[in-house]
Amino acid sequence: MKTILFSVLFAFAMTLGAAHATDDKEKVVKVKTSAICGMCKSRLERNLGLSKGVKEANLDLKTKVMTVKYNPSKTDEAAIKATIVKTGYDANDLVADQKAHDKLPKCCQKTAAPHVD
Amino acid sequence: MRIYLLAGLLVLLGTLTQAQRVTGTVYEQGPTGKVPLPGANVYWAGTTLGTSADEQGRFSMPRSTQSNRLVVSFVGYINDTLTIGAESEWEVVLKSEQTLEEVVVQGNSTAIDRLSPTQTEIITSRALAKAACCNLSESFETNASVSVSYGDAVTGAKQIQMLGLSGTYIQTNVENIPAIRGLATTFGLNYVPGTWIESIDIGKGAGSVVNGYEGMTGQINVELQKPDGLEKLHFNAYVNNFGRGELNLNLAHELSDKWSVGLLSHASTLRNRVDNNRDGFLDLPLYTQFNAINRWKYQSEGLMAQFGVKALHETRQGGQMAFRPGQEGTSPVYGFGNNVSRYEVFSKVAKLFPHQPYKGLGLIVNASVYDGRSYFGRTRYDGRQGTFYGNLVYQSIISNTNHSFKTGLSYLLDDYHETYRDTTLARTESVPGTFFEYTYNYLDKFVLVAGTRLDVHNLVGTQFTPRLHLKYDLDAHTTLRASAGRGFRMANPLAEYYGNLVSSRTVVFLEQLRPEVSWNYGLSLTRDLHLGGMHATFIVDYYRTQFENQLVADMERPGYLYFYNLQDQAYANSFQAELNVTPAKRFELKLAYRLFDVKQTLGKPFDEQILLPRMMINRDRVLFNAGYALPYDKWKFDLTVQWNGTRRIPRMGTEHEHGTFTYQNMAAELAPAFYNLNAQVTRTFPKWDVYLGGENLNNFRQANPILGASNPFGRDFDAGQVWGPVVGRTLYAGIRYKIK
Repeated sequence: MKTILFSVLFAFAMTLGAAHATDDKEKVVKVKTSAICGMCKSRLERNLGLSKGVKEANLDLKTKVMTVKYNPSKTDEAAIKATIVKTGYDANDLVADQKAHDKLPKCCQKTAAPHVD
Repeated sequence: MRIYLLAGLLVLLGTLTQAQRVTGTVYEQGPTGKVPLPGANVYWAGTTLGTSADEQGRFSMPRSTQSNRLVVSFVGYINDTLTIGAESEWEVVLKSEQTLEEVVVQGNSTAIDRLSPTQTEIITSRALAKAACCNLSESFETNASVSVSYGDAVTGAKQIQMLGLSGTYIQTNVENIPAIRGLATTFGLNYVPGTWIESIDIGKGAGSVVNGYEGMTGQINVELQKPDGLEKLHFNAYVNNFGRGELNLNLAHELSDKWSVGLLSHASTLRNRVDNNRDGFLDLPLYTQFNAINRWKYQSEGLMAQFGVKALHETRQGGQMAFRPGQEGTSPVYGFGNNVSRYEVFSKVAKLFPHQPYKGLGLIVNASVYDGRSYFGRTRYDGRQGTFYGNLVYQSIISNTNHSFKTGLSYLLDDYHETYRDTTLARTESVPGTFFEYTYNYLDKFVLVAGTRLDVHNLVGTQFTPRLHLKYDLDAHTTLRASAGRGFRMANPLAEYYGNLVSSRTVVFLEQLRPEVSWNYGLSLTRDLHLGGMHATFIVDYYRTQFENQLVADMERPGYLYFYNLQDQAYANSFQAELNVTPAKRFELKLAYRLFDVKQTLGKPFDEQILLPRMMINRDRVLFNAGYALPYDKWKFDLTVQWNGTRRIPRMGTEHEHGTFTYQNMAAELAPAFYNLNAQVTRTFPKWDVYLGGENLNNFRQANPILGASNPFGRDFDAGQVWGPVVGRTLYAGIRYKIK
């Protein structure tokens, strides 16, 4: 009984430690996207954030530029752009995957008029 | 002297005319662009200096030396705070509160509704995901105010308790329709699958009069996933080590700009016979449940309408391992069975006034039939309930948004028909009612809600239900709340003490039962703190429920279950202190302690009167919860530890038929204290979640949960005296698949 309690606490402490471990290798890439609104922003940031090797993804809605911090030994620029394209958005010169784009809510598609949310 | 006065006046006048003013216009975001919003409150943060916008949305007010932060608020909209610099002309666009839902879901897992005049905790879908299993009864695992009580060792019914009283004293609504009441209180919490739930609001103490008179200790409102919600598809599969399997599928589809349709469905089963404590009885009943809701929603600028149907079918079978269906009634083997069918149709229609968001007219109508058939060994118990409910609510303001009100009419029809052994209990309640609730809101700093309802009950006469709530912000970080109110309900003894029917106790109704009437008083304090750079919230509250009449279910005497009206007094005092700390981003800690003092006068069967602590209620409880998530919830970890103190249980052993049992010389028995450990890990992928967890990881079990298990048809058989877990460690795993 106690062993379980301790192992759970231990696992807990481990993850906390891992989360705070410093990263010596980190690269940053900026990608211009076709995002339109807050929904686009959260969708893109989530999909990138959950993909392999990505530490942080932040989209500036004014400039439509996505700033991605990543671990270069786990992923690269091409993979990051591919994730954006597969989510349904343009990534620099790469055009959005048409199927994914058409599945987006109307307000997030390229024909939508600019809006706040 | 006069000259001084005059000079002073001149100076004052001078400053007044010189004082700069801040002017501006408040807009709302309409479908075609921004539209002026009349009537919004504008005030300097932390002060009492305020004004309201005129009919064109214009406002003008003097600058304040005490604050440079201007708050713009309006009912139905999200507050906006402006930092005022040298500019004097402002444009404010308020966002409608409907977008708030998303904000809450993204926020901390347990939120406290800061603006609500009642002390309200919100369990978000994020917190619900912490306790993966399985339905409403298990959704409160990480909540300090509501706890699960263990009913009995055979039926699998789960009950909750709040403020020291059982869940039957809580008004439980599903989307503001009274849902878990009457005969459905027995298993009702098991009928709301966890994946259907979007969020749960828990209000402590007296509630609003708008939803009826039945709430005595609090109200729980469950919001379900919406047809026009973000998740288009949500599929969930769950399995645990005892062989319980569960599938849930939620679908939401937008048919057009205005129409949407949703389906919530659930199927679960346990087919595996488990008897880990080797008492010859199933530790968990075998069961199968099918449950679905289909609803249609129409939303336009001026009208919101929903129509839906619900259907539920559940079969349960428990008792001795050797028992098989078909043997009920005659067999020497003890069996328990329960078949329930429940059907419901509902509609909700609301007329909206897009340019007067404070105004609304809503009508809720629902009708349901419940049919439950049970047997406990050779005893049969069947119950049917038909219910019709209608509630018409109108809300608006009196001259400005500082004064608002809700008023309306309601009608409740309940038709009960129960048979237990050869006794028939039948009654029809017809209750037309009316209510009025006034809210005074002074800049969200001071809120007063005074409500009353008048219900004309065909059986027990006219009932008057007054309720009062006060909220006062002592400063920007401290809120004080107080509430008081009356509650009234008709008890259903057999459904509410269902688990105690799994015994050889003789059920005795000593007299005609009167309705239960209680008064609840409460006080709470919420304070935001900064502990060395960490954000923290401290909540302390005290509530007292005092009964004018209560249904007493007296199990002190072995072999008997007496039902009677309260003789002298019954009360429940509850004190709770809770500290929530966020030591780092995405890391949450909760530590809570609560104390119950619940007493009841017993002894009527022997013409005695003795005030005793209520059985099965533990005085002390400590809850600790820790949750940590990586960015975007890639990994989530959650750990809950509960410690439950000792509680009074019925005297074990047998009574000699002509012995000297009296309430005065009855020996007190205590069940030991125990703790409970739950943990869960979730891994999130862009479309998938996978989770793995455990309940009761410390594998604590009540020894001998069934008294007289070896002779279930003998005099000493009793499976209703359960105070702790019957099954040991539960491990589970599941997946969620979502399309947004």
